[in-house]
Amino acid sequence: MLEVSSLKKVYRSGQREVEALRDLSFTVDSGDLVCLVGPSGCGKTTLLRCIAGLLEPSSGTVRLDGREVSGPPPGLAMVFQEYGRSLFPWMSVRDNVELPLKQKKLPRERRSALVDEALSAVGLAGTETAYPWQLSGGMQQRVAIARAVAYEPSTLLMDEPFAAVDAQTRADLEDLVRALWQRLKVTVLFITHDIDEAVYLGQRVVMLSSSPTVVQDEITVDLPAARDQLHTRADPRFTEMRTHVYEQIQKAKRAAAI
Amino acid sequence: MSSGLLGVAGLAGLLVLVEALPRLGLVDDAYLPPTSRIAAALGDELGTAQFWQAVGDTLTGWAIGLAVAVVAGIAVGIVIGSVPVLRAATASTIEFLRPIPSVALIPLAVLLYGTDLGSTLLLVVYAAFWQVLVQVLYGVADVDPIADETARSFRFGRWARIRHVLWPTALPYVFTGVRLAASVALVLAVTAELVIGAPGLGKSIAVAQTSGAVPLMYALIAVTGLLGVAINLAARVFERRSLAWHQSVRGEVPA
Repeated sequence: MLEVSSLKKVYRSGQREVEALRDLSFTVDSGDLVCLVGPSGCGKTTLLRCIAGLLEPSSGTVRLDGREVSGPPPGLAMVFQEYGRSLFPWMSVRDNVELPLKQKKLPRERRSALVDEALSAVGLAGTETAYPWQLSGGMQQRVAIARAVAYEPSTLLMDEPFAAVDAQTRADLEDLVRALWQRLKVTVLFITHDIDEAVYLGQRVVMLSSSPTVVQDEITVDLPAARDQLHTRADPRFTEMRTHVYEQIQKAKRAAAI
Repeated sequence: MSSGLLGVAGLAGLLVLVEALPRLGLVDDAYLPPTSRIAAALGDELGTAQFWQAVGDTLTGWAIGLAVAVVAGIAVGIVIGSVPVLRAATASTIEFLRPIPSVALIPLAVLLYGTDLGSTLLLVVYAAFWQVLVQVLYGVADVDPIADETARSFRFGRWARIRHVLWPTALPYVFTGVRLAASVALVLAVTAELVIGAPGLGKSIAVAQTSGAVPLMYALIAVTGLLGVAINLAARVFERRSLAWHQSVRGEVPA
């Protein structure tokens, strides 16, 4: 379980102070898939870095599985938007996926089994010896997802992972994330600026306000668990919810403009 | 015509020119003997043990000095580069020490080590160290914050981040630094021998000059040039092999 309570982050540079996060509280239950959506520049990335223990909040706490986060927590894996920079170009696909497992000091056979399993789960079996830069953007992001999955995290953080891939690849990757989530029973916090994506993927959608950020609204997505690109997106309930989320985001933007 | 052929043609032209100038009487052959006589002197020299001893001495000074400079440059560069406070504190000192020509340290070297190998090493290390250090500092600054955050998010320790993120990022810069340092080290090794009289090719050149063996002097100068070319070529081959993944080497990505 992931609990974010009264999280606040103020950036200081010289005399200037920028309040990125004002007062953020929400929880993600174990095994849940929650999407965070907000207007651009709403501090999503700041929030994610605080949760991942890469950035220290000014006040408030993040607790993961009951333990307060004060550095990158065990049991958490992160998928970055910039897959091209997050994967190491000097290593083959296999080595990229395996390296975090080596750092975890897993025995060789276990590592090898996890890497094979993760790569075939994302549909990349057979590319082990390729280098990331020899693959297409969508395939590179699959490698990054495989690396996170092989790490066997209890919680998976995804920071706008599909913002840089084309629409068709994106639809495939969305289905991949849902399939992995259902199979692995992992907790997923998925950050996006795409409203349709948030409603399509999530069990819950948390809407953020503009910066300085608070939680604007929250809905439970009561669509059937088996979703597909064609029928789910045509479902009147889907349209209703995306309209609701859209209105909330617009409201957040207007509030910021005043 | 390929650039390789053109290069060979240019070199051949130079050899022909050096052959022709003294033969046509345009320059005094006491100062510039024709290519054929230089080549003959070189041929004779190649058969002597002293020559190979001199080459060995020069290369020993070069290799030890370079190795010390590279190891020190990499270690100091990584430490300074990864600690922002240190980097800011040392920047002006480095900019002050770096441009001091190594040759200006010759009196100091003689004072400390006389005409021993130590003198050559001092000059070589001083000159080569800055080349490596500056490149390593650039390399460390080039670490992608996303790559580093990725490593941190997977709970890599400090050493693992140096080994798996910082080092591969800095490696292309390290190679550039080593290549530059290798050339500079050879220049300084020969200079030290020439000026201080430490044993090696530089000393042989000085001896040839004072004893009036002008063709031999030119032959030895040509040998130092050939050594420089060989060192540079070897460094480039090694670099391309080690950096196959780097965008400067990998070329077109297959679709």
